[in-house]
Amino acid sequence: MSEHATYSPAQGRSAIWMRLLLWTILIVFAIWFLLPAYVVVGTSLKDLEEIRGGSLLSLPHELNFWAWKHAWNEACIGVECTGLEPYFWNSIFMALPAVAISTLLGALTGYALTKWQFRGANIIFALILFGCFVPFQVVILPMAQTLGKIGITNTVYGLILVHSVYGLAFTTLFFRNYYVSIPDELVRAATIDGAGFFTIFRRIILPLSPPIIVVSVIWQFTQIWNDFLFGASFTTGGAQPITVAMNNLVNTTTGVKQYNVDMAAALITAAPTLFVYIVAGRYFVRGLTAGSVKG
Amino acid sequence: MASLTIKNAVKRYGNVEVLKGVDIDLQDGEFLVLLGASGCGKSTLLNMIAGLESVTEGEIMIGDRVINDVHPKDRDIAMVFQSYALYPNMTVGRNISFGLEMRGVPKAERQAAVLEVAKMLQMDHLLDRKPSQLSGGQRQRVAMGRALVRRPEVFLFDEPLSNLDAKLRLEMRTEIKRLHKRLSATMVYVTHDQIEALTLADRIAILKDGEVQQLGTPAQIYDQPVNVFVAGLVGSPPMNFIHSTVVRTDAGFGAEVNVRAHGQEQGVLLDLSRQPADLTPHVGRKIIVGLRPEAITQAGQRSAGDDQIFAADIDVTEATGADTLCVLHWNNREVMARVSSGYAQIIEGTMDFAVDMSRASLFDPETEMRLV
Repeated sequence: MSEHATYSPAQGRSAIWMRLLLWTILIVFAIWFLLPAYVVVGTSLKDLEEIRGGSLLSLPHELNFWAWKHAWNEACIGVECTGLEPYFWNSIFMALPAVAISTLLGALTGYALTKWQFRGANIIFALILFGCFVPFQVVILPMAQTLGKIGITNTVYGLILVHSVYGLAFTTLFFRNYYVSIPDELVRAATIDGAGFFTIFRRIILPLSPPIIVVSVIWQFTQIWNDFLFGASFTTGGAQPITVAMNNLVNTTTGVKQYNVDMAAALITAAPTLFVYIVAGRYFVRGLTAGSVKG
Repeated sequence: MASLTIKNAVKRYGNVEVLKGVDIDLQDGEFLVLLGASGCGKSTLLNMIAGLESVTEGEIMIGDRVINDVHPKDRDIAMVFQSYALYPNMTVGRNISFGLEMRGVPKAERQAAVLEVAKMLQMDHLLDRKPSQLSGGQRQRVAMGRALVRRPEVFLFDEPLSNLDAKLRLEMRTEIKRLHKRLSATMVYVTHDQIEALTLADRIAILKDGEVQQLGTPAQIYDQPVNVFVAGLVGSPPMNFIHSTVVRTDAGFGAEVNVRAHGQEQGVLLDLSRQPADLTPHVGRKIIVGLRPEAITQAGQRSAGDDQIFAADIDVTEATGADTLCVLHWNNREVMARVSSGYAQIIEGTMDFAVDMSRASLFDPETEMRLV
């Protein structure tokens, strides 16, 4: 990515000006994008008085974590004044199994589609791929009916099912494209060695998959954690994920609008995805390109 | 150890017939090489023996057992792949023992077997390495070890040397030959390299368009090719094909060619009287005379008085070290002659050549088949 350009003396002057211009533009854009984040963090650390009195951009006088604590387990969401905590755990209990299930099933499907080519495998893949382009809104009604028939409406299990099914299209795409680059001869050799479908998957294919597993996990976790529509459509009250709860928290006003609590709530809601990106982000980019380079 | 019988094996993908009824009978301990250009069906046939491809029609038997519908792991075969197909996540030791593990062999036994094979292939110091830490030649050895460790009835090789450099290829070729001698196992080996085929095989099957053109010992393939295709495929440089017409002579039959000598075209009558084929029906008709470069050499090299000796102009010479190849012009087409390197100094000029017509192969120009 980072190209080290070299300049001949003749080019020197104009090159320096170009550099300066480039840096200026980059810095302006960096400020442009970081400013809202700064305002959110800053406001969450102020008390209401300070918010009302000071400017939006001023630094907080002191690090005041009252708003964070309040948002976490005291703020009222609807009529329940529990803070975000129970909903945070709802989201965790929804996201972790849904990520695991969709990733595992995607890996298995991708493996079957590439290494056990059967008649129509490509058509099936095309149909699965189609699932990536189906908007959320289209499936809400039939999904609600299905969840109702199974009897898991308004539960975390319902959301796990919805996200696993919806995520399968993406995870299959990831794994299928990654496994295409793994030589078929590996599977043939293992077949002759006496390994079956699942043994080959577990002993040979999965150990080669960490780069694409990271991609799938990050993608799925972000999608599922940040989902609002499914959460709002299929759950009410205590079963809601944190995104929906945060929305309700912000919309529940009893008298004064507590901007600091709203900001803290937003940051708490965003924290897990940020965490995943910081921990595994570099593997994400690496994994996205890994399959295309190495055979 | 076991014999391998392929009876009228046919492979079809939809309407495309890739193998059109192949019959091969292999004795116990025999080394068969499947030779042909890419797309001739040789790898498909190997995969059918391995069980990686289904058999559309016909039968494949190991010993007395028809294995058409037997799962690869129960066929008692082992295969070495072109890309080696080593499991990248496992150490060399695990790679070799994986097949035994899958068959439920106890750990102690597995380790002993791995060690024995590793010693045999001189790679016992590599057992803890990952394939990515090995050189090409070492990977090749691991792939061989993985096949050897199970002591299968039949070994299958799918172009195992084509990814190695020239020197290593030669080494591994000898190694494979030595292994075959030591194990006296039945082996089937796919290659497109005719030198590999000639050096390794007990018998060679030459495939083209899904059909066996010729099945025979390397000597039979080399000296008595059944058609122009086989004659042109095997041998380097390939056989010279001289288009001529059969005439009757005092001794029997002959074929006329115009040889360029001293800058002029001179008619020479190649003697066909020592050919086993009865050429009576071919008199006056076109014929292809096939002569290997070594059948045309400098006069006086061979003591046998049967050679036909005549002068010819040398256009170009190519020294190969042991021999020198001379390009001659017969019937205005290039003909390769192989002379011993003592004559390498000759660059251009006219020289007397001796032609051993007893080694000529005759082909019908229409059918391109050998005349017998």
